[in-house]
Amino acid sequence: MVTIEERIDALTERELQHGLDVFRSKLRAAEASYLNACVHCGLCAESCHYFRMEPTLENVPARKLDHVAAVFRRHFTTAGRLAPGLVGARGFDRAMVRAWLDAVFGRCSLCGRCSLNCTIGIGLPRVFRAARAALAAMDLVPDDLQATVDNSLRHGNNMAITREDWVDTVQWLEEELQMETGDPEARLPLDRHGAKMLFTVNPREPKFFPLSLQASAKVFWAAREDWTLASDPGWDLTNYGLFNCNDEQAGQITQNLVDAMARLGCTTLVIGECGHGFGAARWEGPEWLQRTYPFELRSMLDVMDEYLESGRITVDPARNAKTVTLHDPCNLVRHGGVSEPQRRVLRRSVSRFVEMTPSREHNFCCGGGGGQLAMAAYKDRRIRSGGMKAQQIKDTGAEIVVAPCHNCIDQLMELNKEYRLGVQIKTVAEMVAEALVTDGPPPTDGKGTT
Amino acid sequence: MGQPLHLAVLAAAAWAVGALAVTWLRARGFGRRVLLAPAAGDRSAGVCYAFTRAMLPQAKESVRMHLPSYAAGMVFHLGTFAAFGVLAFVLAGVDLPAAVVWPARIATLAGALGGLALLAKRALTPHLRGLSSPDDFVANLLTTSFAALAGAASLRPQLQTAWLVVATMLLLYLPIGKIRHCIFFFSSRAYLGAFFGYRGTFPSAS
Ligand code: SF4
Ligand code: SF4
Repeated sequence: MVTIEERIDALTERELQHGLDVFRSKLRAAEASYLNACVHCGLCAESCHYFRMEPTLENVPARKLDHVAAVFRRHFTTAGRLAPGLVGARGFDRAMVRAWLDAVFGRCSLCGRCSLNCTIGIGLPRVFRAARAALAAMDLVPDDLQATVDNSLRHGNNMAITREDWVDTVQWLEEELQMETGDPEARLPLDRHGAKMLFTVNPREPKFFPLSLQASAKVFWAAREDWTLASDPGWDLTNYGLFNCNDEQAGQITQNLVDAMARLGCTTLVIGECGHGFGAARWEGPEWLQRTYPFELRSMLDVMDEYLESGRITVDPARNAKTVTLHDPCNLVRHGGVSEPQRRVLRRSVSRFVEMTPSREHNFCCGGGGGQLAMAAYKDRRIRSGGMKAQQIKDTGAEIVVAPCHNCIDQLMELNKEYRLGVQIKTVAEMVAEALVTDGPPPTDGKGTT
Repeated sequence: MGQPLHLAVLAAAAWAVGALAVTWLRARGFGRRVLLAPAAGDRSAGVCYAFTRAMLPQAKESVRMHLPSYAAGMVFHLGTFAAFGVLAFVLAGVDLPAAVVWPARIATLAGALGGLALLAKRALTPHLRGLSSPDDFVANLLTTSFAALAGAASLRPQLQTAWLVVATMLLLYLPIGKIRHCIFFFSSRAYLGAFFGYRGTFPSAS
């Protein structure tokens, strides 16, 4: 297999020009403004978890931006063409391609924390996404990240789970749910045509964390919801096209959800607990497909919040007596606009809830976003940059970290080991399921994701 | 000597405005993104927030962590605006009202000090030095000199020629380098505010 380094060495002038053309095609007035605006004040440095944990020049957000802006200046501004040395403009050559790869894939989780702290107000991730798209057009997406996208394109889910395995897991979880609730009618319905809600999950749930899927099913059961899962493509909510920034592939993956909704005749697409999955489906999907959805889309957090608010389900917080803190996934909160439903749900479902500092849109990325979990080459940086999140967790003194995102959960589990946090990591649904007050048997012993 | 220099400043100002307008229009020429996902919030409220509370220390960790730089930057910008104000009076041939002579002097000289402080920080902080291109130094030196000479020339009129020469150079340079942010600050912050407003993140709930 040809390595990414070899592919860069072999780039032709035509391929470089193609990359540049794709970069140009992804820019709109907003990005053009951002690329003209940086004043090199450096005040964004500490907003980035990479820089915080390793304070080097290459980890300063503005430096990452500058690799991209230098090319913009050289190719798309008069001053950059006439006086490149003066204004720091550089041509798009192999060395620059390497710098882009390292900056936008290797040192950035596209978390956007730098944008809020930028003196000017530059939306850095929007620029980085255009740069990633250019690299994708030159076949320079790190192989393991691209393989995750390819799995979704070929198998309808990013972990290449077969239909048979998926259906078996759902049926097994249904039996578990029946045992847990004591209700032989409790269901994890598959392909129920005309159900109101199609519930989508992260493939990590059937593969590694079946209890979190069972917990969501238990909440639906308690709410007597009219819902279903899909057995064919459209059950996986993830979309790593958000990270390789190949919009065409991202659109194809989004289409699986749209097709499943049409196939099953559902009216509401419910996105399970996954930050990037929510961001991809809620915000980017319509842009990738260039059309609005003919159905409603909601986050599972919003659904649970409504159940509790309306009294459709009731919970007893005493059943979650340990101190709980909440991680804010960047794609769900800062970039997704969903910050309060999960808080309202947790305040009702647990006895002691403590916020991290900072929280909500000011949160620190766990380090696993932006496709970092799928890129082995940058693993050391990912774990190191997660040190900020580890410290935040330690400072809360919490025993349970709730993360409404399975990607974040994977990263938090690694941080748990690496930084000896000694915490349990759970989804919001697991906390609600644990606290549910139902007519069924008493709750289980509270085993969660970890 | 005064009159031709006045004309030079005016010509340079016309160049600056024209070139900035072209640069801005070229950026606008990249086109608007048509957003199809239903909004979760209000773009205008996001823009309002971005230009107000989002810039205060309470909402901005970078400001809290760099209060001296933030203060120096504010003073530098105020001093520069004051210097442009004084320049406008000089070009119009109108005396500065007596009540603002000293405030303008203080603002411009303090602005120059702020600029010098930021220049020293840029030269002495390794990651800032690494970030910098010649443009960063040229832009600072021109602006700092402009503010300093504005204050100094009001005390020593013989410095006015030097000040007008520097003003001309500054205006000629303005659209070429980073001082372009005098327009791109506003457009970028507006775009960022609209983006986060649309997504329901701005105004902040916290
Ligand atoms: S988006 Fe996040 S990871 Fe990337 S440079 Fe900004 S703060 Fe750092
Ligand atoms: S804070 Fe903004 S303007 Fe300042 S260096 Fe960082 S990206 Fe550039």
